[in-house]
Amino acid sequence: MSPTSRDRQRSRLDREVERTLLRTRNGIRLVAGSSGPRVGASPKDVVWQRGRAELWRYHGGEVRYAQPILIVFSLVSRSYILDLRPGHSTVEFFVGQGFDVFLLDWGVPDERDAENSLETYVDTYLPRAIDAVRRETGCDEITLAGYCLGGTIATLYASGHDDAPLRNLVLLACPIDFGEMGAMVAGLLDGRVEVEDVIDETGMIPAKTVYGGFFMQAPTVEVARHATLLDRLWSDEYVDGWQAMAQWSRDHVPFPGTAARQIIDLFIRQNMLMSGSVRLGGREIRLAEARCDVLNAFAVKDNVVPMSAVEPNSRLVGDPDRRHELRLGGGHVTFSTGRQAFQHTLPTLSDWIAAHSDELETPKEG
Amino acid sequence: MAATNDRPAWLDAVLKLERAIGSRVESVVTSDEFFDFTAHANRARKRFSETFEGLQEECLHLFNVPAGTDVRRLREQLSRVERELEALTLSLADQAHETGDKPKAKPRPRPRPQTTSADADE
Repeated sequence: MSPTSRDRQRSRLDREVERTLLRTRNGIRLVAGSSGPRVGASPKDVVWQRGRAELWRYHGGEVRYAQPILIVFSLVSRSYILDLRPGHSTVEFFVGQGFDVFLLDWGVPDERDAENSLETYVDTYLPRAIDAVRRETGCDEITLAGYCLGGTIATLYASGHDDAPLRNLVLLACPIDFGEMGAMVAGLLDGRVEVEDVIDETGMIPAKTVYGGFFMQAPTVEVARHATLLDRLWSDEYVDGWQAMAQWSRDHVPFPGTAARQIIDLFIRQNMLMSGSVRLGGREIRLAEARCDVLNAFAVKDNVVPMSAVEPNSRLVGDPDRRHELRLGGGHVTFSTGRQAFQHTLPTLSDWIAAHSDELETPKEG
Repeated sequence: MAATNDRPAWLDAVLKLERAIGSRVESVVTSDEFFDFTAHANRARKRFSETFEGLQEECLHLFNVPAGTDVRRLREQLSRVERELEALTLSLADQAHETGDKPKAKPRPRPRPQTTSADADE
């Protein structure tokens, strides 16, 4: 029997009263700041460290695949987006799927890193971090996954090192056509904004300037986000997720000036990557020379690194016979948060990596 | 009154308004004029801050007190030293790696304490 109109009204009223009480409680918690999100909480060990950079090894799961995954994070934001909250964490997901997961976190660079160039990351830090992964696991090859600008570093490493011990190169929202990066690089592209204008006296681009670059892409979107929060304030789950994302989206790190000068000159103004090769560290790096399977994964609604900036990876990086492409729904953070991430994006990625890895006869403790 | 998708009408209105205003704001902040303005504003701020710091430095030095710029120079020097240390650490680690992480050589025996002339005679 269907409920009467009066019953429906009553149940709706009860629900609204309950939600209003919950909204009040959560609102007070938010304003008082007494319910901070637990970001980056997955169990891990630091297995290598150099300068501000650290290599983390996550544990807790049974390892079923021989090739560990090393995730190289971007240089402009904090890596905890990939380990946002317990139950909503990319690394936790991959650990749960039977992978031995490592993450190369660049930390919070400061003036000591001002002279870090692209070569520092591509030829110094990353090869050593990979050596550390191999030492830790005893494996010959790894799956290297680069997120955003971390993907660019991973690409340059894979293409520029003949001896790179890579089984797979996975590029996640990795820009290659910097001319398509839109508002974020528009001022730099035509020289209206010079890199020296944004580098401070310590030789770094301050974190607030990096944040400003992202904020300027959609300055009013915060209004919509807060209004949506107000409506969903009754849901603890939503509030937790919102807080974690709000914290991450404001939490940027300073960017080394030397690397910024190179990126602006080589990648943004000359758009060298689109030519398929770039001169770095005294040699010509040809992107097609990456000797492993390459997966170019990107989100069609990404407004930070638009699809048009990412798509050419599929025809420029790696051996043409070993190139793969994965188009996903959602936006830039589809690899890390949201229903889409855990229902579709991450399972699809995991399946691809598993299909391109060796399964261990006997699983081992992670 | 509830709107579609269980979203209240007020929220729909706010989201529509945000987009209506937001798209205009976005086109302003990506315009050439805005970039020119930002660049000029940045340069002006830098010039002002340099001038102000210079004045401040002179005043503080009159009383033999270090200024912020002195501290910054000191930090820059420290950073350089740390970078050099890091480079040395890396090259040492590389050397150790190339030699196959061989165990460390046994410490050399300490030189014998100098013998007295009487001992020497013995």
